[in-house]
Amino acid sequence: MSRHDFGNEGNMRVDRRTFIKGCTMAAAALGLSETMVPKLVAAATSAQRPPVVWLHFQECTGCTESLLRASHPDIGRLILDIISLDYHETVMAAAGHQAEQVLQETISKYDGKFICVVEGGIPTKDGGIYCKIGGRTAVDILAEVAPKAAAVIAIGTCASFGGIQAAKPNPTGAVGVRDLVKNTPIINIPGCPPNPISFLGTVLHYLTFKRLPRTDQLGRPLFAYGREIHDQCERRAHFDEGRFVEQFGDEAHRQGFCLYKVGCKGPGTFSNCPAVRFNGVGAWPVGVGHGCIGCTEPEFWDTMTPFYERLPGVTIPGGGKGIVTGATSVGMKILGVTAAAVGIHAAVGIGKRVVKCKKCNNTPDEQE
Amino acid sequence: MRYQQYLAWSVLLRLFHWSFALSVVVLVTTGFYINFPWTNTMLEGGRSFPVATMFYIHFIAAFVFTAAILARLYLLLFGNRQERFWDFLPITPKNIANLFKTIANYLYISDKYDRRPGHNTLAGTFYIVTFIMALVQVLSGFYMLYPENVVWQTWGLWLLGPLQHARYLHYLIMWYFILFAFIHLYIVVWTDIWHKEGLISSIVNGRKFTPDKS
Ligand code: HEM
Ligand code: SF4
Repeated sequence: MSRHDFGNEGNMRVDRRTFIKGCTMAAAALGLSETMVPKLVAAATSAQRPPVVWLHFQECTGCTESLLRASHPDIGRLILDIISLDYHETVMAAAGHQAEQVLQETISKYDGKFICVVEGGIPTKDGGIYCKIGGRTAVDILAEVAPKAAAVIAIGTCASFGGIQAAKPNPTGAVGVRDLVKNTPIINIPGCPPNPISFLGTVLHYLTFKRLPRTDQLGRPLFAYGREIHDQCERRAHFDEGRFVEQFGDEAHRQGFCLYKVGCKGPGTFSNCPAVRFNGVGAWPVGVGHGCIGCTEPEFWDTMTPFYERLPGVTIPGGGKGIVTGATSVGMKILGVTAAAVGIHAAVGIGKRVVKCKKCNNTPDEQE
Repeated sequence: MRYQQYLAWSVLLRLFHWSFALSVVVLVTTGFYINFPWTNTMLEGGRSFPVATMFYIHFIAAFVFTAAILARLYLLLFGNRQERFWDFLPITPKNIANLFKTIANYLYISDKYDRRPGHNTLAGTFYIVTFIMALVQVLSGFYMLYPENVVWQTWGLWLLGPLQHARYLHYLIMWYFILFAFIHLYIVVWTDIWHKEGLISSIVNGRKFTPDKS
């Protein structure tokens, strides 16, 4: 919990020191030189704060929560200082029709100028009835708001790629923003939850340079998602030198060795977690002894599970649901069956030769 | 019976075959290790890098493998008659007939061996399947090796999906190669015993034998 939550409710704004500290952290995350910090600060404190509409769809509000709970500096409040959050269902005071009215006003008044932040996946099956706000489906709301926005920021893996709702068998047909919005620039800040610094950095980049940061092929800003976790991990030396945790709680685990063999998905996951860390206390999953679960990647609920194994199991169809076993055991079994088949084939061949060659002294080929 | 000797396989094809075979052995061995690094140690400061070294060997073999695949691609299109893909795929009536005759012969149903200058079409079909598997292996491998490169990222995401999916596929296809190598070795030895065409030595010296009809 943030230290600002106690004692100074009266002062909602962050002090200047915290403000500059936040901008400096964002500059560092963006890979900008410190000489750029004043520019970021100037952009962040300019009179016209960009209006922001924050839409919540199929989600757990964890992204908002982690943003508001971020501390040292109080990034949640810093962001609220930088932007003008006109519509946000979780933190706004208005409710019901009043809230709907705010949304309508904002998107018409700032047509083409506001930033639309989307949190949560969007269900598309059965006319999108699985997520409705004020009687309207998420698909409809997004279709109305997104085209009017200057840019859409999809925060969290759900808004970026569909997230857990989109995991197999995806009963509600959930998708990410990029699958529905085509003509508005989209930036994805995936993660479950994403690092608030990555969000702050994107916003500050946009304010300072008037354009969105460069992204990879999945629309994730390169400054935050440009490198694999595995390539920045503090346990990498243990990996290269072959020191692995075999089981949680074993001696190797207590020594802080590499978590590869207990399913760490650091190889194959792009994020700045090892560098930026969370909650202002320098913590991140691998740092505290738990493997990366790959939460910034598309389909991570399907491809990164089981979380404590290197690779997903193989589903053998049949018997209703089918059985799931490890890929290695499947491979071994198929090889065993093949070896048996080869053995039988060879035995038949030998048998045939014995029979044939009693009748003649020629090999079959020579009779052709 | 008298036999006639002819050159079936060019030097490049034989080079392809052995660099491919050797690199697959190395790739499977190191691949198993990468999947499950069984040499676990508590020793620190030993300055030995078993895992990094295994990856390194995997990558060197991977480049040999890729070069071999490219050589085969060239030969599939511009090699000698036996090496071009339309010679050994079941795409003409004659080749389709060869497929069934070969299967019947392999299953001891028929003693007739439909002799061919190059591959029979059953083998040929599997070689093409293996070639495609090798392409997937190269694509998924380079995608994992250079995940930040725009080209690999674009193709990888488009064809294979997220990295972890590529890794999973890469691992499963390793089992295809193990199975292929096992069955290939068996059939080659079997054919060499049953049919006198010098099959095994042909991949060393390039020459096959055919009964002299004259
Ligand atoms: C027949 C050919 C090949 C076989 C059998 C093979 C096998 C394997 C296996 C079993 C793994 C471990 C998968 C895991 O559990 O994570 C692996 C990893 C890897 N292979 Fe291959 N491989 C082959 C070809 C290639 C090629 C052509 C490349 C191209 C560069 C390549 C690059 C890689 C890379 C980069 C990894 C590391 C994945 C990671 O970051 O964890 N492989 N290979
Ligand atoms: S703990 Fe995970 S990310 Fe870190 S070196 Fe090991 S496998 Fe890589």
